[in-house]
Order: sequence, then C-alpha cells, then structure tokens
Amino acid sequence: MLTLEGVDVAIAGTRVLRGVDLRIDHSGRVALVGRNGAGKTTTLRAIMGLVPLAGGRIAFEGQDLGAVPAHRRTGLAIGYAPEERRLFSSFTVEENLRLPAEVLGLPAAEVARRLDKTYAVLPEIAEFKDRKAGGLSGGQGKMVALGRALMTGTKLVLLDEPFQGLAPALARRYAETLMRLREAEPELAILITESNPDLLKPMVDSAYLIERGEVHPTTL
Amino acid sequence: MTLLLFLAILDGLAYAAQVFMVAVGLTLIFGVLRILNVAHGSFFAIGGYVAATLGTWAAATAAAPVLALPVLLLAAVMVGGVLGPAIERLVLARIYTKEHVLQLLVTFALFMILEDVQKLVWGVQPIFQDGPVRALGQVEVGDIIYTAYQLYLLPGVALATLFGLMWFLRRTLTGRVIVAVTEDREAATAMGIDANRVYLLTFTVGTVLAALGGALASPTTSLVPGVGVNMIVLSFAVVATAGLGQIEGAMLTALLIGLGRSVAVYFAPEFEVVIPYIIMVAVLLIRPHGLFGRPELRRV
Repeated sequence: MLTLEGVDVAIAGTRVLRGVDLRIDHSGRVALVGRNGAGKTTTLRAIMGLVPLAGGRIAFEGQDLGAVPAHRRTGLAIGYAPEERRLFSSFTVEENLRLPAEVLGLPAAEVARRLDKTYAVLPEIAEFKDRKAGGLSGGQGKMVALGRALMTGTKLVLLDEPFQGLAPALARRYAETLMRLREAEPELAILITESNPDLLKPMVDSAYLIERGEVHPTTL
Repeated sequence: MTLLLFLAILDGLAYAAQVFMVAVGLTLIFGVLRILNVAHGSFFAIGGYVAATLGTWAAATAAAPVLALPVLLLAAVMVGGVLGPAIERLVLARIYTKEHVLQLLVTFALFMILEDVQKLVWGVQPIFQDGPVRALGQVEVGDIIYTAYQLYLLPGVALATLFGLMWFLRRTLTGRVIVAVTEDREAATAMGIDANRVYLLTFTVGTVLAALGGALASPTTSLVPGVGVNMIVLSFAVVATAGLGQIEGAMLTALLIGLGRSVAVYFAPEFEVVIPYIIMVAVLLIRPHGLFGRPELRRV
C-alpha cells in the first residue's frame, strides 16, 4: 500500500535519511523503532510531503507521491498525528477534528459520520469536545491528535511517537485505544514510531529499526 | 475646555477609525505571512488617489450624491484586487523563506517604487475630492456642527470591518483555515490546507483594507506625496503597541493612539506628531510583546 524506496532526505545540508526502504501492506500495522534523532519524525514528514526528498521514491497505492503536493495527501485517505500534537490551540477540540475533513470538502453528512466514528473509538474526547485545544493536558491532546488523524486517515494513519511523554497510566489508555481501533477498523493500516519497542509489541505485526537514518526490518 | 475635549474625542474617533483600517490589514498580513509589509502604506495612498479620481469622475455625472460612497469601495476593491495578488505572487512568494532583513528591504523597495508611480500618475499637486463628505451632510452634536461622514461613516465602517473580520475568521471555513495557517503552517499543510492560497487570499484582503482606508481618508484630507509614509509609520506604531497579529488589539490601540493624538492637537499641538510614539515606547517598555501580544513559543 505504502512503499518507500531508497528515500534520502537532507535537512540544512545534513543527511537525515539514507536510502530508506519501508513497506506497509494493506491493513498492516507497522512499528518504526529508533532512538531520538534517528530519523523517525523525518520519515513520517517525508511521507506527508513536509520535507523534500533528495532521492528515492514514495508511492501510495501505486501512485508516486512526488507528484502529489503535501496539502493533497490527506485527500488520499492518509491521516497524520505529528509529534508534539500540533493541535490548533484557539479552536475547540471538535473544530480541530472537523478541520481536515472540511478542508477536503466532504459533505456535512460524511463529516458527521466520521466524527461519530472517531468518538466511538475515542469516547473520552467526546466529553471535552467543546473545550479549547490550547487548554488540554498532554494525554488529552495526544488522543485528540489521534482522532484528528482518523478523520482523514481512512486507509492509513501515521502516528509519530504517540507514547512520548505520557505517564504509564495514560500510555496504557492510549494502547487500549489503539487495540479498540484495530477492532473497529480492521482494514486500516497504521505506522507508529516509538523509541521504546516493548510498548508496541502487542499491537503491531511487523517492525523496522531506524538508526542514523538507515532502516532495517527487525522483530520486536 | 469641555467643548474642546469633546471635539478632540470626535476627531480622535474618526482618526482612529482610519488608522485601524490600515493597521488591521498590516497585522493580519503579518500574522499569516510573517512579513512586515512596508508597501502597505502605498496601498493606502493609491487607494486614496484612485478614490479621488473616480470621485471626480462621479461628481460630474447626474447621480453624483448616490455614487459618492460606492465609489470609495470600488476604488478599494480595484486597487487591492489588482495590486494585492500581483505583488504577492510576483514578489513576496519568492522571499518567504528568506531572512527578515531581506523581506523588509524588498517591501521597502516596493514602497519606494509605488511612491514614484503615484507621482508619475497623479503628480505632486495636492488632490482633494470631498464629494462623499458633502453627500452625507452635517449633523449638530450639542453646539457643534460636525460632518456625518466623520461622525458616523468612518467609525461605522471600522466597526463593521472589525466584527466582519472576527466573524469571518471564527465562523467560516476559509477563516478557520487562515487561523490554522497563522498558528502552525506545517501542521495546517499536513491537514490538507494549501498555505500558498491562504497567503494569496490574506494578502489580498489586507491590501483591500489598506486601500479602503485610503479611500475613506481621501475626502477629509488633501492627497500629497508622502501621505503613505505617515500612515505606514503610524500603523506600525499601532500594530507594535497592540502586539503583532492582534486584530481586536489593533482596534483598541488605534483608539488609544487616535484619541491621544487628537487630544494633543487641541491641548498641546507641539506634541501631535510624537504622542503616538510616546505611547508606543511606554507600552513596549512595560510589555515588550505589546498590550495584547504573547511571547512566541520557540519551536525547534
């Protein structure tokens, strides 16, 4: 479904990704594990088109993403929850969820349907849907960022270090949510990055290790 | 004394309304594009000149009083609709990733070029066209005779602009998209927003507002070379005092500076020119990010 072939990325003259090969199958759940600074975030940003490729190729369902500008990629049914949440702080939680779906020009009924589906997987965020995103705690924000990714990511979601900075109890809640998502959306492919592989073991079926910008298949 | 103070307040309100129209566009553009646009003052001046030219033409027709006000809006839309997109696409789009110093120099160069364009087209003699003021007539406030244009129209347009913008930014999808790009361009792009289109739209809206400010000012003042300089400097003072990117704050600060200036005109005329900057310096010494601004969190 998603393939990266020999992807090179340089940021400010420094090579951050070196010949990355990575592949996610339809409904696959893939972990990308590596230390801080290894290139996990850059890999996801490259998939979303937020950094230019210095070489290689990224394809989604056979289509070369090089021809798809960054702002068109959510339209391919890809959702993205960046590291550090990156919610729009002056919007309410629900406005944050709606925005990417409305920007796609989806009909109101479809936006409402996706919103219901998102709240079904993440019931706790429905409780504070009218609060401003700027006032959320770290754990709440992570849940909303996941929900926002699900609003457009009906085929693939990219989750960048979702467990980073979560207290153990919250991390467990987040993991339970991902298991619930697996039951609710068995077709959905997921790519999760994480520095601690143990957390991801129960919820992925394959894994890659990233070290200094180089990626190799691994087992957790 | 009370009478003078009353007059000063009326003058101050009308003046604040004009300054707000220019400052709000400047602050909106800065909020989204992160560029301090020196050429914004040129849009004010050219808006005024085009309004005066159209107004002179309209005054010669039979429908003069009816056309006087729509002509102001028409001038603003023409100037903003042509200059805004042209300058954003051809010039600014090339320098978004460059250093701030270069951006400032480029918009300053644009300002100088547009300043000479004004002299080429309209010459250096003062131009005055008060059709819109005469069309609305005069009102008596207590013992004072005042123009309805300055008493009602200018503050009315400024308030309508403020509330219209707030409604647009909060309640419409296009407005929320602009706010999203203002907060976090990369996250907005990842959510499917075409930031380049948002830049173009925001710059055009800001340009129309500056041109409307100039069009509205033209019936109350003579247009001479340099009129854009005064306005851009004063607008910078308002925007910096309010905090960059603050729309409601720009309104309150325009009031503060407009009233401060007109009180000075009546009671201490030698301070007229410096009073806005004294206010600005006093505010920035105490609150370096402006009255309503927040220190920006640094993102690595």
